Amino acid sequence: MKNLFTLEEVAFEDVTFPPLLEIKKGEVTFICGKSGHGKSTLLKLLNNMISADSGKVLYLGNSIENYNPVQLRQEVLFCRQATYLFEGTIYENFNQFYRYRELPPPSKKEIRHYLDICAIEFDLDADCNLMSGGERHRIYLAICLSFQPKVLLLDEPTSALDDATAHEALKGIIHHCEEHSIDLIVVSHNTTLTDTFAHAVIRLENKSCSNQSIAYSVDADTHARLEGNKP
Amino acid sequence: MNEIVVLNLWQFSLVYLLLIVVLAIMKKCQINQTKLLFVASLRMTVQLVLAGLILTFIFENPHPLFTVLYLAAMTAFAIYTILSRNKEINKRFKVIVAVSLAGTGLSIVVFFIMAVVGVSLFNPQYTIPLSGMIIGNAMTGVGLGLRSFRENLSAQRNRTEALLSIGVSPPKALTPLVNESLETALMPTLHAMIGMGIISLPGLMTGQILSGVMPMTSIMYQIAIIIAITAVTSLAVFCSLHFGYKTLYNKRQQMTY
Repeated sequence: MKNLFTLEEVAFEDVTFPPLLEIKKGEVTFICGKSGHGKSTLLKLLNNMISADSGKVLYLGNSIENYNPVQLRQEVLFCRQATYLFEGTIYENFNQFYRYRELPPPSKKEIRHYLDICAIEFDLDADCNLMSGGERHRIYLAICLSFQPKVLLLDEPTSALDDATAHEALKGIIHHCEEHSIDLIVVSHNTTLTDTFAHAVIRLENKSCSNQSIAYSVDADTHARLEGNKP
Repeated sequence: MNEIVVLNLWQFSLVYLLLIVVLAIMKKCQINQTKLLFVASLRMTVQLVLAGLILTFIFENPHPLFTVLYLAAMTAFAIYTILSRNKEINKRFKVIVAVSLAGTGLSIVVFFIMAVVGVSLFNPQYTIPLSGMIIGNAMTGVGLGLRSFRENLSAQRNRTEALLSIGVSPPKALTPLVNESLETALMPTLHAMIGMGIISLPGLMTGQILSGVMPMTSIMYQIAIIIAITAVTSLAVFCSLHFGYKTLYNKRQQMTY
């Protein structure tokens, strides 16, 4: 089977990735590593928000530079670590995002469904400005999830959440993605979550101490399938 | 109606005494801009004396080339002023701003002088002061619009990135910022229209009345010039921003600013 993503000798600015980096289809892949070692950069490369300075990024066997970038990002959707919500209620936020994506607004039932997945108990007309950072981020996650991408890239989805909520929200998201065969790639520094949910783990680790470029080791292909989370 | 009173040089210099009032207020309120006040007053005086001398020369030797040169110098200086205040924008954006300002400014000047006033474009008595008003206001508008756009762009960076990340095209994500800045640039002109004639007689009209023109003629000029200014402001800002924002992303639809 073709890899979902393959990175061959990719470098971007001062980050050099391992010579070969593969992300398989049908798995929940976690990306770990200290901050500043290119975790977010990797996600941005995967939906062409940035292009590699050198090397090749392949999506389903084809160079990512051959895809229409906007269509690709709709298919490989990137949910950033920094939350963005518009002014207004949850319902208005869904509508605004859908307007920008040029899609008909989702029904209240659909919205409720995605809010439930992300463990949000608020009413649809609750004002997002009055919510905590963690609540706002889960609404942002719910909106991203509702676009039904083929691949979902999550950058530190649980950094603003307490452990119990993080576990519940991520469990809901992973369950939904497995049901709808959405491939999930998650950047996280939370080892408990990684141990619980990851099918495969990519570790980006500083190997050399050169100032100019940072090299990494990778154990992506160990496919750390952990007990209790086999599909 | 009387012809205008020519100012006596000694009486005229009395007006500079008013600057002492400004100086006193600055001293009292500890505003450390006395140097700027001095430089600004001096620059204004020197620049206007030069303008007076040049215009006297051009009116006495009305060669079309002089009018064209004056117009070109004015446009170039307007472009230079805007670009020196917006150094951060990229090269292509700068070219677009320059072309937009010159193109829209000169088109409105040609329309105004030839169609509305109905005199030759090479008549310095009309072309020089009227195009000064038109291009000067276009410059102010574009300056305001650009500043607002740059502020919007950096304030809304998170929003832009969030939208692009989920597959919104850069034009779709950025046009609301363009539109907002265009609105900001248009507001002063629109507000000025509202108070016009009640609070004060506007500049052009004041000048004409002082030199003995019938009030009804001068209001027609005033209305015409204000509409021309509104048109040139919206056109110049629209073209600058609408074509300019397209320089902020590349072929791969990635932000480059």
